[in-house]
Amino acid sequence: MNLVRANFKTGLVGGSVIVYLALVGILERFQDRNVITGVVGLGTTLVLLTMFGTGYLVSRPKDDGTSQPFGEGLVAGAFAGALTAAVVLIFEAMLGAGIQVRNMLVSVTPDLLDLLEFGLGPGLGSVALVAVGALLGGLAGALRLLPEDVRGAINYSLIVALALSLSEPLMDGILRGLGIPRRWLYESGGLTIVGTIIVVVVTAYLRWQWMRRRDQIAETRAHMPEDRRILYRRITLVALVAVLVALPWVVGPFISDVLGTVGLYVLLGLGLNIVVGYAGLLDLGYVAFFAVGAYAMGVLTSTASFLVKPENAPFAEHGFTNFWIALPFVVLIAVVIGVLIGAPVLRLRGDYLAIVTLGFGEIIRTLVLSDWLAPYLGGAQGLIRVPPPPPAALDLRDPQHIYYLILVFGLLAAFVVSRLGDSRVGRAWAAMREDESVAEAIGISVIRYKLLAFAMGAAVGSLGGVFFAAKIGSIFPNSFGLLVSINVLSVIILGGMGSIPGVVVGALVLVGLPELLREFGEFRLLIYGAVLVLIMILRPEGLIPNKRRQRELHEQEELVTVGELVTEEGPA
Amino acid sequence: MALLELNNVSAAYGPVRALEGVSLEVNDGEIVCLLGSNAAGKTTTLRTILGMVPAHKGEIRFNEERIDELRTQDIVGRGVTMVPENRRLFAKMSVRENLEIGANLRTDKKEIREDMERVFVLFPRLKERIGQRAGTLSGGEQQMLAIGRALMAKPSVLLMDEPSMGLAPILVEQVFDTIKEINELGTTILLVEQNAHVALSIADRGYVLQTGRIVLHDEAHALLEHPQLSQAYLGELD
Repeated sequence: MNLVRANFKTGLVGGSVIVYLALVGILERFQDRNVITGVVGLGTTLVLLTMFGTGYLVSRPKDDGTSQPFGEGLVAGAFAGALTAAVVLIFEAMLGAGIQVRNMLVSVTPDLLDLLEFGLGPGLGSVALVAVGALLGGLAGALRLLPEDVRGAINYSLIVALALSLSEPLMDGILRGLGIPRRWLYESGGLTIVGTIIVVVVTAYLRWQWMRRRDQIAETRAHMPEDRRILYRRITLVALVAVLVALPWVVGPFISDVLGTVGLYVLLGLGLNIVVGYAGLLDLGYVAFFAVGAYAMGVLTSTASFLVKPENAPFAEHGFTNFWIALPFVVLIAVVIGVLIGAPVLRLRGDYLAIVTLGFGEIIRTLVLSDWLAPYLGGAQGLIRVPPPPPAALDLRDPQHIYYLILVFGLLAAFVVSRLGDSRVGRAWAAMREDESVAEAIGISVIRYKLLAFAMGAAVGSLGGVFFAAKIGSIFPNSFGLLVSINVLSVIILGGMGSIPGVVVGALVLVGLPELLREFGEFRLLIYGAVLVLIMILRPEGLIPNKRRQRELHEQEELVTVGELVTEEGPA
Repeated sequence: MALLELNNVSAAYGPVRALEGVSLEVNDGEIVCLLGSNAAGKTTTLRTILGMVPAHKGEIRFNEERIDELRTQDIVGRGVTMVPENRRLFAKMSVRENLEIGANLRTDKKEIREDMERVFVLFPRLKERIGQRAGTLSGGEQQMLAIGRALMAKPSVLLMDEPSMGLAPILVEQVFDTIKEINELGTTILLVEQNAHVALSIADRGYVLQTGRIVLHDEAHALLEHPQLSQAYLGELD
């Protein structure tokens, strides 16, 4: 009886999730997408996954050792199914009574009910919902009884299969690009049955082997001589670069374009990482430097720029100068503006700094939009006719080509930023971030290092703007709104503050994910938001955290140990 | 000749007056202690010397040159460093990083390495914990690291703010032994303490501050017996 009462609530929560997904229309809309072609659609998969997840959650080991994973999962899963069944039956009854449910709940269609009843009709379907819920919940609970390596292998293989199936549009393109036959794996938007079995078995085996040998591998690595380790690191690096170089030709022009945008955000993220991640200055107006980079490049190279435009014609033959000559000047202008913005806010800390920089970001946008500067920056009409970087023969506007340009500068920026982080300067920034007044007391010039952070951040951020201008070919004020600042900040928070691989992963998730989810139309932002919330709950330190930052977030646990040490010796 | 000299220095936090015409001098090679109860202006004196609180009156001289108009980093660069109250380590950085930060103004790599070795000779415990996070050290070890961090700037005058705070009596004794040792190795020390008895036992001379003014000044052993000292401390001495 206790077992039922204890797991009743979580079961109902699981059921509510299913009902919610059904009522907002996600289930029916997603059902069109095959997960395993001919067997199960994405809608049904979500129902099953929720039941499974409910069972897995309730059956986690308890502190008091009174776990009964199988029973707990079974009960919770059954209740999740039962709640869904109850809602389905209510709607069936209403439809039967001729009530127009769709006037209130547009998503409740016969198709949706059919989906939830597994196509078995109201009576049998309801029973099936409870039974399937209990079965999946129980299975999820039973997983807890398995040894860790086996459980890990099963979980992992299911996740990989689902991810592979969902990324079919991307994977299909890649396989096609590589010339690998794909009929055995994919069929009309989903995995084939054979493909599913192969994927599950192979990943489960690989994961199982990895789990078993993990310690051994770590052991070998720890005992490896230093030069060997460096050699392996170099090999990995070369392989990584090779993959990055081959990527645009494998994935095709559309994904290359997305990758280019990801690259822009990596550049912006790297720059903001200096300001926020290293120096600890919360800058909410970072878009200013993005705008400065784009507009400076635009003015210097556009054939419609006020610098070259003849009196009687809209365009000149050539821009004032070309991309490569303009580039160093653009960066220089950004550095100057970085210092100009940095100087007045030097005395401000934390929240106040954030608000003031927010203001600066808006000021820049308002300035470029203003009539006052319209003769020079184009106002609302923007700056058009920004040519791609020469030589024309390379056609650097093609997404597959400009990708390389962004890649080269991205790698360069990553290298500089990472060296900077480990240098004396980086250490001074870290000290300043931790305790500004002590940093000052031991001789760190807080003012100089803050300005340096703003200047470096501006330089790297302006590169983002430069390539944005070169990539799009025209610049409009509405590309430089607050949302850009927020997005870049999200990239580094999500990836892990102060971590360079984190910036890359953060940009992939934040910029790449919405592109992959494009086929889900209006639900795109809903899913996107849910993913962000989940990541921040599960990994507050970011996906690939910087080591020092991780310590800061887990300070609570460590404070306990420090406290113990202090009482041991005690104050006098 | 005085190495560090304050001449009629006044300082304030906004409208709140903190120092009123403070004059004191620290001669080369001395240990001088600055005593006083809470809010007497001891820490403010140190912060004013370092240029973190502006002196609106009077002058501060170091090696005969005026330093009261200089920026903090330039004062540190000339050889005045502080061990702040409560250690104030960079808790999330390792022991090594804390020491390296202390030498942030210096560029002489080889000598920095030698100085780090010197710190390790002084505090062998720190060498054992070189990779450990400063926040996980014990109170005594943290004080050692705070002193080590300041020594890395290669100061000729070390300003120490309440080094005994929060330490067990046995550790207090150790810390003061170390201060004496550092002094014998050639560093002049200006020490701020509440614990007058212990401080005077290692000091050459002492000043007593009361509400921002120097009220007493004498040789350390003479101060120990001075009746006004216990008054200034509201009975902290027996």
